[in-house]
Amino acid sequence: MRRSARAAGPALLAAVVLAWTLIPLVWMLSASVKTELQLYLRPPRWLVVPPVWDAYRQVLFQVPFAQYFANSLVVAAGTTAGAMVLGALAAYGFSRFAFRGAATIRFLILMTRMVPRIALVVPYFLMMLRLGLLDTYTGLILAYVSFALPFTIWLMIGFFDEVPRDVEEAAFVDGCSRYRAFRDVVLPLAAPGLVVTGIFAFLLSWNEFLFALILSGVRSKTLPVVIAGFNTDVGPLYNEMSAAAVLVMIPTVILTLVLQRHVVRGLTLGAVKG
Amino acid sequence: MNIRVRIACMTLAVVLVGGLGGAPVAAAPGETISLAFLAGYKEDVLRANIAKFEQASGIHVQIDASPYDDLYKKTLLSLSTSANRYDVLFMDEPWVPALADFLAPLDDITKQMDLADFVPSTVAAGRYRGKLYALPVDPNVQLFIYRKDVFQERGLKVPDTWDDVLHDAQALNDPSKSVAGIVTTAGSDQQTGLYMLLLIWSYGGDVLDKNDRPSAETPEARRGAGEFVQLLKYAPPSVQSYSFADVNKAVQLGKAVMAIQWASGARPMEDKANSTVAGKLGYAVMPKGPAGRDPMRGVWTIGIAAKTSHKDAASKFVQWITGKEFGTAAALYPATSSAIHSPRVSVLQDPKVDAALPYAPALLANLRIARSRTRVPQWPDIQEALRQAAAKISTGAISVPDGLKELDASLGRIMAK
Amino acid sequence: MERYARGGLPWLAPGIAFLLLIDLFPLAYAVVISLYSWWLVRPSDTRLVGLGNYAGLVTDPQLAHDTAVSAVFMAGAVSLELVAGLFLAVVFARRARIFDLVRPVILLPLFITPVVSGTMWRLMFHPDLGIVNYYLRRIGIAGPPWLSDPGLAMVALVLLDAWRTIPFMFLVLHAGIVSQPHEFFEAAMVDGAGSWQTFWHITLPLLRYIMVVAVLIRAMDAFREFDIFYVVTSGGPGTATETIQMLNYRIFGFGRVGLASALSTLTLVLVAAMSLALLRLLGRERTA
Repeated sequence: MRRSARAAGPALLAAVVLAWTLIPLVWMLSASVKTELQLYLRPPRWLVVPPVWDAYRQVLFQVPFAQYFANSLVVAAGTTAGAMVLGALAAYGFSRFAFRGAATIRFLILMTRMVPRIALVVPYFLMMLRLGLLDTYTGLILAYVSFALPFTIWLMIGFFDEVPRDVEEAAFVDGCSRYRAFRDVVLPLAAPGLVVTGIFAFLLSWNEFLFALILSGVRSKTLPVVIAGFNTDVGPLYNEMSAAAVLVMIPTVILTLVLQRHVVRGLTLGAVKG
Repeated sequence: MNIRVRIACMTLAVVLVGGLGGAPVAAAPGETISLAFLAGYKEDVLRANIAKFEQASGIHVQIDASPYDDLYKKTLLSLSTSANRYDVLFMDEPWVPALADFLAPLDDITKQMDLADFVPSTVAAGRYRGKLYALPVDPNVQLFIYRKDVFQERGLKVPDTWDDVLHDAQALNDPSKSVAGIVTTAGSDQQTGLYMLLLIWSYGGDVLDKNDRPSAETPEARRGAGEFVQLLKYAPPSVQSYSFADVNKAVQLGKAVMAIQWASGARPMEDKANSTVAGKLGYAVMPKGPAGRDPMRGVWTIGIAAKTSHKDAASKFVQWITGKEFGTAAALYPATSSAIHSPRVSVLQDPKVDAALPYAPALLANLRIARSRTRVPQWPDIQEALRQAAAKISTGAISVPDGLKELDASLGRIMAK
Repeated sequence: MERYARGGLPWLAPGIAFLLLIDLFPLAYAVVISLYSWWLVRPSDTRLVGLGNYAGLVTDPQLAHDTAVSAVFMAGAVSLELVAGLFLAVVFARRARIFDLVRPVILLPLFITPVVSGTMWRLMFHPDLGIVNYYLRRIGIAGPPWLSDPGLAMVALVLLDAWRTIPFMFLVLHAGIVSQPHEFFEAAMVDGAGSWQTFWHITLPLLRYIMVVAVLIRAMDAFREFDIFYVVTSGGPGTATETIQMLNYRIFGFGRVGLASALSTLTLVLVAAMSLALLRLLGRERTA
């Protein structure tokens, strides 16, 4: 009796947590397949049969959504690649070499993550203007790599620390250079952790809004800006906004669900290890 | 040493990978111009029609659409820093004075055009210090909207003065049936400041005097703002949270008998799928105050960047988007949210357009007498100060005289900067 | 160890050079711009004004107001997230099966684009089409106009931030609890300590370091939050939810670049001070 009651508590809590998490998602999903009038109906209709696809049609075919989607993908992939390469090198350096001031440098790197991005918009705009990189993938990627690099380095230090040094020592004995050892021995062993780091970098780029809003244009506009565009001078177009938001959300949800175990590990590693 | 070289190579590779993704947009065979535009329904109308222009002219138009709040920021930043991102710019008329320095005067182009067909006040929207920097595309003006059926039933005449409006609003206001006498916004929405300014104008006041000095603290301004606060007594109970879209919703759901709303809001009111009062609405000229009748103008205009290297192509585009063909197509575009109207008399009086847009005659009538907000480059700052003051005044957080005093002080700071 | 002492530099150099170039250079540039009166509308009038922009900002009551708004949001969001996260972590600590069940769903809000979650919130809290007020009314509570009430708009934003980041607190603290040695708890049980006592005297002290780190990370993120404010309230109603970041965006929007950069610089000083405090605190925690 008591036992079942004690199990019921957490189960109930789990249900509450699920509801709290999912209700906003489901309501948005529902709004995306309705007409405007159906959205205002009281009591609220969670499910409209048959679903109305007008909003999706509007989002997908009135604006070049596929182009924006491709832009988002390319920028996110570039960001991931850049942050991974630079991050892995630096993290390996921190993990394997002891030098004076290492802790301070690590801390300063982390601090760059804390800078409010709005502070960087104008100078970055002017810098990209001088370099001729306004409204290019490169311009956005450079910015996003700099945003992603601090946590990429921090997470990767943790993953490299977990690779035993004996393994490398053995490689040195076999005549490997340090770089070969890094590439052929350490990297493969740390791979699961690196994948997680890559996902974080990818999502950072996928989700970024402010820089995309100001710096991107016809050639490099990414998806979050498209969602904001449905907030018009005659008020928000809620159905279209929801449909665009659902479309932007899909890759995020897939990535998160497929790789959830690893993601949790990456998330908790930094803080728990301290 | 080897390591260093390799690391350098890898770094270079990263930069290159980024660099590879340069321009994804396929270059059109002809010339390409870049256009800064407003995202949302106006973008839809343009995209639906742009192919006609591109085919006829061989010019490819790249549309960079931004949300309303960010279009000005992006346009200003791009023009002012010689980024040369845009050849053609879609601008709300209060931005024109601020952007005029970076725009090409259009007097050459207009020589080839029939300007007489434009409603004169819409052309004025693109003029600053005697020169024409932009041409009208989508004329917007505040309309006075009322329920024809209710007025008929109660034997009321369409109000001609603000006092009439106040009187009718009081008579028609019926909270027990959730029907308000009049709907506007009251609170921190941008529109509140503009409604209050409309009333201030009608009573002879303004925020700046003839020499662009702050003048919010005058008896006329106080009377106008006071009348606005009076009207709000007969507005829906949650009016303090209203924005543009909520004013529309209140009308569409039959929750208000009268409304002051921009013409851009009238389209969904006549959409039978989303409005319970479609066909029952009357549109009139703006009521007058002691100083006159002053519906506020808000024309969306098109201009050309002074530094563009595609001036001819840009000119062709400007002529097309301000032309009769696009104006008619836009006015007839089957949009439910809103539309692009046309600044051309011939389009607004086209029987097909009048059949599709029952408010077209009122749009034209109000446009002819429309008044513009003061043409100063500081206007975006001023409108923000006006918004903040109107929010406080309309919610009763501050008295009318104190609110206007605060506004006057803010205006002083803005003009001194 | 000596073997490892040298040779680190080439590994670090690319990353650090990149950060210096792409991050620090614009920051330094912002400081320079902040000394100029620079209005984008009149670029030719740009002139050096020294600390004039700073003087203008510091005397503007709006900055004090917006700093308070930032602080309220930070404090509200982070404390709610800590309490809720800790509660969940403790409840699910020894229930691996239920935890496995909720984990995939719980992760979602953390990674969903902030602009998207902001959109959800507008749909939820809208007075007419939102479901929050509808169901409140069903249980007899007249729903307030959330996003247009100065106080409640902030509450809605705090709830949104909580929706997005309670999972972070929960997962981090959960990992912390799970990694605690079992012996402590067993010993406590043998001593007959109740679950509340166990929590108060054993779990909490052991979690202290993790909690401090998680709270500080979250506080910094909350301080620089921009996207959800932009989408949900744009700083409104009025300027009731205008944070320092939104003020910066507004000033930048009027083309007052020098003034905006001065505000950026002030913000940076604030961030640096907070970072330093964090460094000190962590040092103390670790030795404690």
